[in-house]
Amino acid sequence: MIDSAVFVDDLRKTFFVPVREGGLGAAFKSLINRETKAVPAVDGISFDIEPGEVVGFLGPNGAGKTTTLKMLSGLLFPTSGIVRVLGFEPSRRESAYLRQITMVMGNRQQLQWDLPALDSYELLRAIYRLHPEDFRRTRDELIELLELGDLVRKPVRNLSLGERMKVETAAALLHRPTVLFLDEPTIGLDLTMQKRIRSFVAEYNQRFGATVLLTSHYMADVQALCKRVIVIHHGRLLFDGDLGALANRFNATKTIGVTLKEGTPDLSKYGDVISSEDGKVSLRVGNAVAPKVAAKLLQDLDVADLTIEDPPIEDVIESVFAGASATPAESEVAEPLAEPAAAEPA
Amino acid sequence: MTTAAGVEAPSNPYGPPRLVHPLRGLLDVYLTEMRIAIAEQIQYRASNYFYMLGMVAEPVIYLVVWSTVATQQGGSVGGYTIGALAAYYIVWTLVRNINIVFTPYGWEWRIREGQLSAQLLRPLFPIVEDLGFFLGWKPVVVLLWLPIAFFLAVVFHPTITTSPLAILVFAFSLLGAYLIRSLNQSSLGLITFWTTRVGPVFQLYIAAELLLSGRLVPMSLMPAWVQTVADFLPFQYTFGFPIEALVGNLTNEQLLNGLLMQVFWIAVGSVLVRVVWHFAIRRYSAVSG
Amino acid sequence: MTRGIEPIQPPARPRVPIDPTRPLRLLGLFVRIGALNELQYRANFWLQILQSAIAVGTGLAVLGLVFSQTTALNGWTGSELLAVMGVHILMGGFIGAFVTPNMGRLRDDIRQGTLDFVLTKPDDIQLLSSMREIRIWQTVDVIVGGVVLATGISQLGRSIGLLDALAFGVAIIAGFLMIYCFWLVLTTVAFWIVRVDEIHELFEGVYQSGRWPVTIYPGWLRISLTFLVPIAFAVTVPAQALTGRLTLETLLLAIAFGIVLLIVTRRFFRFGLTRYSGASG
Repeated sequence: MIDSAVFVDDLRKTFFVPVREGGLGAAFKSLINRETKAVPAVDGISFDIEPGEVVGFLGPNGAGKTTTLKMLSGLLFPTSGIVRVLGFEPSRRESAYLRQITMVMGNRQQLQWDLPALDSYELLRAIYRLHPEDFRRTRDELIELLELGDLVRKPVRNLSLGERMKVETAAALLHRPTVLFLDEPTIGLDLTMQKRIRSFVAEYNQRFGATVLLTSHYMADVQALCKRVIVIHHGRLLFDGDLGALANRFNATKTIGVTLKEGTPDLSKYGDVISSEDGKVSLRVGNAVAPKVAAKLLQDLDVADLTIEDPPIEDVIESVFAGASATPAESEVAEPLAEPAAAEPA
Repeated sequence: MTTAAGVEAPSNPYGPPRLVHPLRGLLDVYLTEMRIAIAEQIQYRASNYFYMLGMVAEPVIYLVVWSTVATQQGGSVGGYTIGALAAYYIVWTLVRNINIVFTPYGWEWRIREGQLSAQLLRPLFPIVEDLGFFLGWKPVVVLLWLPIAFFLAVVFHPTITTSPLAILVFAFSLLGAYLIRSLNQSSLGLITFWTTRVGPVFQLYIAAELLLSGRLVPMSLMPAWVQTVADFLPFQYTFGFPIEALVGNLTNEQLLNGLLMQVFWIAVGSVLVRVVWHFAIRRYSAVSG
Repeated sequence: MTRGIEPIQPPARPRVPIDPTRPLRLLGLFVRIGALNELQYRANFWLQILQSAIAVGTGLAVLGLVFSQTTALNGWTGSELLAVMGVHILMGGFIGAFVTPNMGRLRDDIRQGTLDFVLTKPDDIQLLSSMREIRIWQTVDVIVGGVVLATGISQLGRSIGLLDALAFGVAIIAGFLMIYCFWLVLTTVAFWIVRVDEIHELFEGVYQSGRWPVTIYPGWLRISLTFLVPIAFAVTVPAQALTGRLTLETLLLAIAFGIVLLIVTRRFFRFGLTRYSGASG
């Protein structure tokens, strides 16, 4: 049995948030009394990740992705449950553990603002006690991989947001960690930069065999990098498995696009018409009947072109979060969609 | 790892990097922090200098007040002549600059900006980083201070009697003062983990320090009972002792005793900060991360 | 900063009929908003009370220390020095509540170019930018200072006549306005020099000199603390009014100097405005 890189069992985290209403009267009241409300951010999550995997955590804002990542990196203590990364318990924040992980949070930075990145890299070398030769080799390799060039010689405050992101990412990897926690790494970046970061992560995973856990609400990040996807919503795990299987699990329909040689007939008896113009019709039909409908269309009509597609994965995810019911297809490890339990006021 | 020939083998470029010895690593951290501190603060030299100038107001006010008292009382008060008072408060300005450390407000900022999380992910005690960083700038501070001291000396005519040993002890005592004040304010700063308002506690600390350290007046002007209380506290080893070491005509025995007390308070401060840190981190990781 | 182009004139403003009660009503509005804002942060009140208590405690300790060594400081008795301390804290409260927040915000607005928002409002620019930020909780110091002042005066045993009280009121207002002018001049410099934060920091240190009557300072320092930074007018003169030391000449000087400062400051501020290049800088 391979030792997991990341092992999580029934992980929970509950926050206690102060409650206050508006208005002057309530403001005065709050001078004396203070109410709190229990908010479960992570509500019983379990999964197992093997070394070298690149796993994407998908979920809307507030779903519990970042909280989970913080518990895995040791920044946050779980309320209950088991967390083991590389065999360590993250909360204990052992030096040997911290050397092997890194966390990149999209809009936070650790580099000295007024100095060139190179100076901050030297500081990190000292902090991690890296052998100078190994450090230099890693640093130069990262500079090359991320195409940093002269950016590392300019004061960090003079760099654009995208450049800063790249320079910070290099800083986070100088100690060659084997587990990477990437929290919204492409947030706020333009498309070119997003692609650059994505290809870099893939490359890093290839070369160094690092395990990568990545949270994002950009579908493109996940599609580009992750074979495996974990969907989190309201602190619960909705789905854990292949990206393609996600679509199958939650998507009940296919889109059939028909191009006719002439005319634009009404095809509503074959399925839901999404659009119909200039001889091109888009139909939405159930998964099970899609092949039959396609065959019938080819048989009944004079068809120039016919395509069968899955709806874009964004739509699938959206419908998942909107609480759309799933067809009871062959299930993966996922939980059925359930109503989130109402939080009890303190 | 070394091969049979005794040569260090290159590490696997895709495996974990080799590490250097912990002690060498620590020294490395301090030296690098110092380099970074200087590089950074040089960019703010104008603002830093203004700050240094502003700090002169406080001792000048004290000096004028106590010189007035001394004049009225026949030329000296508490054993200090006007010239001696001037010497005391001029050296005061140097000690005050050496005493500038990372304040609790800095910890508030650090938590708010999310810098703390980044530090917690690294395998180094953040306090060590702070100590190195703030120490790094001090040599430059001493240089910047010299013209200010010269100007004050021209205006206030201090009378200085000192000795080579006193100067040596003074230099060491500056480091001691810095460390004691640094460690204590770090412990205070960690209170920010429990409350966003550390202000009141810090104000109380500063008030106590003002009266019990020799910051306000030389301790010999304080009532006897206050001096006794101060003997049990670390404050006077951050202000009064360094100043008096240089210009207070202390005996060799007093000089040595003072240094030893500084070492004692550094040890106490280190233990305290370690203990508070342990609880502070548990609190931080329970609440926000 | 003007890059060789004509400095931009402040935009033409609609002629609003002059309403003499406007300044007062504006002030009331900002006080109300300030209060609503501040009450959210309950900690601020307790904080300020505690801070003031500590400051008073320390001040009393220092006074006690001075008077353990002597009977009078430069002719001022203990009770009189207590009165000075009271005025110092009281004036500090006014400054902290009404002046420094506005000057800080004005400085930021000039630096970041967000003064545009003020420039487009129909009220007088100087008035608006001097009134919109109020830290209500700092007025705790006014009360604390008042208590200390009253204690000192009562210990003196002399009765405060109407004339004395009037003189005190005039002196306080004159002193406050002079400090305001001083701050505004410093902040106006921000139109030319970007970094004025340190100059603002300097004031805090210099203001501490007002804890003691400026008569104790050597000549050149005393003159600086009277006419360069009007600490003397802000603290010592009002204290003199209540301790029977105030001469008519000094009071008239205070009024005259105050008026001069107000005029000069306003001119200087409007001059600075012409240098303002807006958010594009």
